[in-house]
Amino acid sequence: MIVNNPYLPYPVRIADIMIDSPDKSLRTFKFEFLEPEDEKRFNYLPGQFAELSVPGQGEIPIGIASSPTEKGYLLFTVNRTGQVSSYLHNMRIGDVMGVRGPLGHPYPYPDLKGKNIVIIASGFAVTTLRATVVYLLHPDNRPDYGRITFVYGARSPGHLLFREDWQAWQKRDDIDVFVAIYKMVPGWTGKVGFVPAVLQEICPPAANTAAIICGPPIAIKTTQPVLFEAGYKPENIIMSLENRMKCGLGICGRCNVGPEYVCKDGPVFTLAQLNELPPEY
Amino acid sequence: MPEYLVKENALADFFQVLAKGHRLLAPQGQGDNCQLAVVSGPVSLNYANTHLSPKTVFFPQTEKILAFHKLADKPHYNVYQDLGDHAEPTVIFGIRPCDARGLSVSNKVFQNDRFTDPYWKGKYDQTVKIGLACLDPSPQCFCAAMGGSPFGELGLDVLAYPKAKGLGLKTLTKVGEELIKAAKAEPTDLANELKDLEKKAIAAQGPLDDYQTINKRQIMELYKADHWPNTAEPCLGCGVCTFFCPTCHCFDIQDEANEIGGLRMRNWDTCMSPLFTLHGSGHNPRPSKTERVRQRFMHKLKYIPIKQDGIRGCTGCGRCVVMCPANIDIRSVAALMAQASA
Repeated sequence: MIVNNPYLPYPVRIADIMIDSPDKSLRTFKFEFLEPEDEKRFNYLPGQFAELSVPGQGEIPIGIASSPTEKGYLLFTVNRTGQVSSYLHNMRIGDVMGVRGPLGHPYPYPDLKGKNIVIIASGFAVTTLRATVVYLLHPDNRPDYGRITFVYGARSPGHLLFREDWQAWQKRDDIDVFVAIYKMVPGWTGKVGFVPAVLQEICPPAANTAAIICGPPIAIKTTQPVLFEAGYKPENIIMSLENRMKCGLGICGRCNVGPEYVCKDGPVFTLAQLNELPPEY
Repeated sequence: MPEYLVKENALADFFQVLAKGHRLLAPQGQGDNCQLAVVSGPVSLNYANTHLSPKTVFFPQTEKILAFHKLADKPHYNVYQDLGDHAEPTVIFGIRPCDARGLSVSNKVFQNDRFTDPYWKGKYDQTVKIGLACLDPSPQCFCAAMGGSPFGELGLDVLAYPKAKGLGLKTLTKVGEELIKAAKAEPTDLANELKDLEKKAIAAQGPLDDYQTINKRQIMELYKADHWPNTAEPCLGCGVCTFFCPTCHCFDIQDEANEIGGLRMRNWDTCMSPLFTLHGSGHNPRPSKTERVRQRFMHKLKYIPIKQDGIRGCTGCGRCVVMCPANIDIRSVAALMAQASA
């Protein structure tokens, strides 16, 4: 019997499944731990990820979409892509599976204290950023941070995740929320356009401000020039990378970007760090 | 730590004592067919190196790590269960210093700054490692050029070397000292002889000093150099280099299951395969063999030294040089990396 085996997933039960997009390619899973002590051991912060472990299928590394301020459950949004995610999409409420983690590093909250934060999400990469906003807005944490801006874009209104959350944030006065779709559809009252264009319009000044970007490579690439133009420095642009992973522990070797492992040393890097590394992500 | 001598006529007894309460693995077979194995015949002292590196002892090519069952009416249904670390008290005799150095490099990966791999650690901690120094290195050997030595001690508990009539031993750790004392080896002074033999063995290897230059170059300067497409051109992507390399440690994790249950396995993997890094979206960060070959050499000669205080990920064992079907030679690649400017 191995004590603290980092390969052994915690058993969880699927407590709820939310179908998140009109094409049903996205589902958000709510997991509850079978053993209450495991929830205490699973001590995480937004920006970290976990391996979802489906017996007989394998594991997939997925960003944690819930915040530790939300007790009793974990949320993960899964895009149906390969063997494990397709199988998971067919599982039902009540089914038992595993969650292994938390893995990776969270966004650098201690460094962000006292700063304004602009959070920029494209597509379903919004998950760990949704967790971040929930965490930052919690009364225990909110006083530690300055102005918070949340920019979020997706293909269509149906592809916008966590609608209840951002609609509630829109009503608050301690966060600026800008939600956009890429092409106008009847009935939409929010912004229209790609995320970089929306950001250009509303970008907060760079002074004492850090940006966190998550999205597909093309969105990250096109967002950076907007931030540069507004005066953001590479060390204040924070990104989260994805690479193919297995162990999540910096051992199995495939997710490296130069000498750094996305799983163990990331997935959160500043643009200043990435500028020194091969672009193998 | 002191030195010891085992006379030729006492060797059989010596190996018997090593095997007491342990599984004794030692070189079996001669020449190219030599392999570390449970001792069943005479222990070979006459081999360039074992066919496979000793990483197989601590990191088997395939290993069962977890199990689960799918019977909904039983407890622990669909819950992964630990299968233990499969470790047993072991003594390995005859690890070449290059391979011991390789184990030490891998040990820092499997027990890194954040996580400990229990399957590796269990076996590693329960193994006493006795090295066998190289009096006469082979043509493919270049350990000294990689910062090691034919008499290198890194990663070992005891260093042995063949003498005209017996075996010389230098103990390097407390565990090694206890084991050799128990085997009733005679204490003696071999310090000068060891020094002389090491000097001769190093001189027998060709000089190669590209590493200092590589060390001074930035990652992106080495990465952007224009020799990589040519360097990678002959590569077949077969992965034999990674299979034989004493420091290659990459693995895949796969579930194997039927309708009532299954196992989670881990198997050796290779960075020479395009699937190794392929994203679910179809995007591949290392899409062609140029990126993959570059990754392998950058990992050995740049990335690992950055993470391990200058210790290189290549130990100069020469297996990849001999086994590569396309004759890609890491010594030539190191020379290109040292010459090339971006």
